[in-house]
Amino acid sequence: MNYEAVIGLEIHVQLNCSTKMFCDCPNIPGDEPNQNTCPICLWMPGALPQFSQEALEKATLVCLALNCEIQKQSAFDQKVYYYPDLPKGFQLSQAHRPLAKNGWMDIVGEDGNQKKLRIHHIHMEEDVAKLVHEIEGRTPISLVDFNRAGSPLVEIVSEPDMRTPYDAMEFLRRLRTQIRYTGSSEGSMEQGTLRVDANISIRQRGSNELNTKVEVKNMNSIRNVGDAIAYEIKRQTECLKTGEPILLHTRLWDPEKHITTAMRGKFEGPCVPDPSVPHIIISDKWLCHMKSLLPEMPNQKTQRFIKQYGLVHEEAAFMTSERDISEYFEVVVSKKASARTSAHWIATQLLPILKDRNQKIKENPVTPERFAQLLLMLEHDEINTNSAKEVLIRLFDSDRTPEEIVEKFGFKQISDTSEISDLVEKVIADNPSAVANYRKGHEKALGFLIGQAMQASQGKANPKRIQEILMEKLN
Amino acid sequence: MQSDIFTYIDPSPFSLMENGPLTGKSVVIQPNMSVRDWPTEAGSAALERYIALEDATVVERLRQAGANIKGSSRMSEMGFGLGGDTGAQALADGIADIVLITDTLGEARVAASTIGAIGFKPSHGIVSRFGLIGLVPSMECYGVLANSLADISDVMRVIAGNDDHDLSMLEGKVPDFDKNYPIEESKGSLAVIQECFDLLSPEDSQDFDKTLKRLNQAGLNIEKFRLADFDLFSKVHKVIGSVEASSAGGKYDGVRYGHRTSSASNWNEMFLKSRGESFGLLVKTYMFQGAYFQFENYKAFENACRIRARLLKEIEGIFNKVDALILPTRRSNIPVDTTLGISKVYDAFLMTLLANVTGSPAISLPGLISRMKNDPGLQIIGPHLGDARLLFIASQLKNIAKRDI
Repeated sequence: MNYEAVIGLEIHVQLNCSTKMFCDCPNIPGDEPNQNTCPICLWMPGALPQFSQEALEKATLVCLALNCEIQKQSAFDQKVYYYPDLPKGFQLSQAHRPLAKNGWMDIVGEDGNQKKLRIHHIHMEEDVAKLVHEIEGRTPISLVDFNRAGSPLVEIVSEPDMRTPYDAMEFLRRLRTQIRYTGSSEGSMEQGTLRVDANISIRQRGSNELNTKVEVKNMNSIRNVGDAIAYEIKRQTECLKTGEPILLHTRLWDPEKHITTAMRGKFEGPCVPDPSVPHIIISDKWLCHMKSLLPEMPNQKTQRFIKQYGLVHEEAAFMTSERDISEYFEVVVSKKASARTSAHWIATQLLPILKDRNQKIKENPVTPERFAQLLLMLEHDEINTNSAKEVLIRLFDSDRTPEEIVEKFGFKQISDTSEISDLVEKVIADNPSAVANYRKGHEKALGFLIGQAMQASQGKANPKRIQEILMEKLN
Repeated sequence: MQSDIFTYIDPSPFSLMENGPLTGKSVVIQPNMSVRDWPTEAGSAALERYIALEDATVVERLRQAGANIKGSSRMSEMGFGLGGDTGAQALADGIADIVLITDTLGEARVAASTIGAIGFKPSHGIVSRFGLIGLVPSMECYGVLANSLADISDVMRVIAGNDDHDLSMLEGKVPDFDKNYPIEESKGSLAVIQECFDLLSPEDSQDFDKTLKRLNQAGLNIEKFRLADFDLFSKVHKVIGSVEASSAGGKYDGVRYGHRTSSASNWNEMFLKSRGESFGLLVKTYMFQGAYFQFENYKAFENACRIRARLLKEIEGIFNKVDALILPTRRSNIPVDTTLGISKVYDAFLMTLLANVTGSPAISLPGLISRMKNDPGLQIIGPHLGDARLLFIASQLKNIAKRDI
């Protein structure tokens, strides 16, 4: 029988607000345990929640970036469950009246066709405390760190429109880019600021029914999500074939063993309207203002880069894949470096070095000004490509300008005709057999001779000039 | 004996203002109202040895107005019902001029009626709940007991008004307690809900009817309304109140404060045992009932919310025609006793629940139905935010009574 998977995602995004959602405590979960707490986030008797305007703004930007309709009125509910990570026996979340509904994102599917994936809704909620279980020692103890309790989150609930692990991964990549562009969140699965749960069910291809779904948690990269979904599809398909029933439950992805294991029955606590946090009523004026704060998003920016800078689509898409990259690129280009050279060098030289150094473009010690100067020297034939790469590496560990480094390390390109002429004549004299081969029509021999000349110049000669002079002398 | 009345006496009471509106007034509060550094156990082991971290907004405002907060009285667990409460006694004994009792089911009004004092429950949302250790957020509020309407007005002037700490308050909609409401501006009519007579003993019914006749003779229109849904107020309160109590009580887990069980092998057991040992039977049953609606019968809760909205509309309709509702404060033949279970507790508050469900202001006046010891108290209820006018009407009724009795 021919099966297909039905996949929906629930994505928690930690907003990078300065305070928690319902109090003024710093939103820095990683600080010394229980340092960032107050009577409100510890929910001491008599405390009442405040509400962070910043959280509402950042959440709204995320919703707008994902093409959602912001609801004129939304409200918080109490999601009731009892666990030590919840200081008040419920989590404040928007179960009945979410902030935004009906979003979507386009992805290009595996078959190369564009596919619209819908978002059911996005709601705000608070994060819970962190539990540390110390099981070693005579008496196992559980410690609670309330630093994270009350951190602002949004939860994005997709429609079950995805059919393959690839769909889910593309959706997440696009979603992550959009969210990062808004500046509302770091959106990192590795660091836990983006957490993804996947709901997967299996049905006969062509059918419309929604079968019992299984929830999978604990993936800490987009690749993990793809792998976990692929595993789950395989597992459930086997179940169907052997007639084993599929039960509603939650499974944990094991990134070491590449399998999912059953964790618990899926628990849905009741959600009761909260009487203490006021309803959120959004005016047209405020919404207009928020829309005006939304930056130029990747799709528009890609189109603009193609038009304004003459990049090809692939280059433009890469330069806009992260807001920081696009902004770096634009500064470099504004310093008169050629757009395509800039795009090429950012993609093939700068970013790989940063990756090796485990740095983000924001932490890049090579300012766009210095990077542009380097590219200009390259374009003006003052240095050759090899030297430029060497200079770039040195720029990372020095505050000097590219000119100073070129000067200091003697990277200046030799373009002087007589100097190159001398080099070429020496190479011709030293390599009679290669010269003979070239004259017999072996084109490869020319490359060898150019290489010899470059070597003789310690990589500083202008290879184009070498070739010209070499050919002149040989013909 | 003062020690029988107080759970805590301030060793060095102070007032901030020499010429404040409440200078010289002694106030007794309950230990579910936070005063920094005071034991604040709200009558429950769930808050065993809990010391408040901050002043409640109301406490801060009272002190700034010159009031001398002497201490806190005994109270029923979490202020639910009246059981062993001593706040009213403090007023009756002359220990306090003003007593604050939370009004969740009607406790402040009923307690006042039992000692022949005035009990006032303000509109929901005009007094900050910051620092109040509550149980039913959408229906409870500070209630004020005093011997004169002037004291009640003075207290309300001080404690009502916006507070940045309480976002659930109604912004900018505080009644003007300084304003005069000339009688000509009123409709001069009061509404009686006929169904309440069915709940009264023959004696109460007779006395209440006589009062209505006297008021009528004094020139007030007494309009009779039928409200077939009158019994729904208690049902709605019970469902919504228990659900809110279950949520509000969720924070008492013994992790950060309060009673923690002496032995448990894991956190789940610790929760269960700590909570089980902390709450008294009544509050435990009430929370359990709320959990039932949350987990097992959410539909009933939704229905209760919908019915509450409808009841609000019906009452609003009546207030379009009359100045206030008039009914006894309590049924003098029904004991107020928290040991008898939820239903019996509600039975004792059937006359007062309406104002908690609708968020209306309500006041209980003594000596208007009966001069006997067992006076049930005369209650008038005004439209939401009509607090100041209600106090004015109350003063008019007292004047009429003075003339006629």
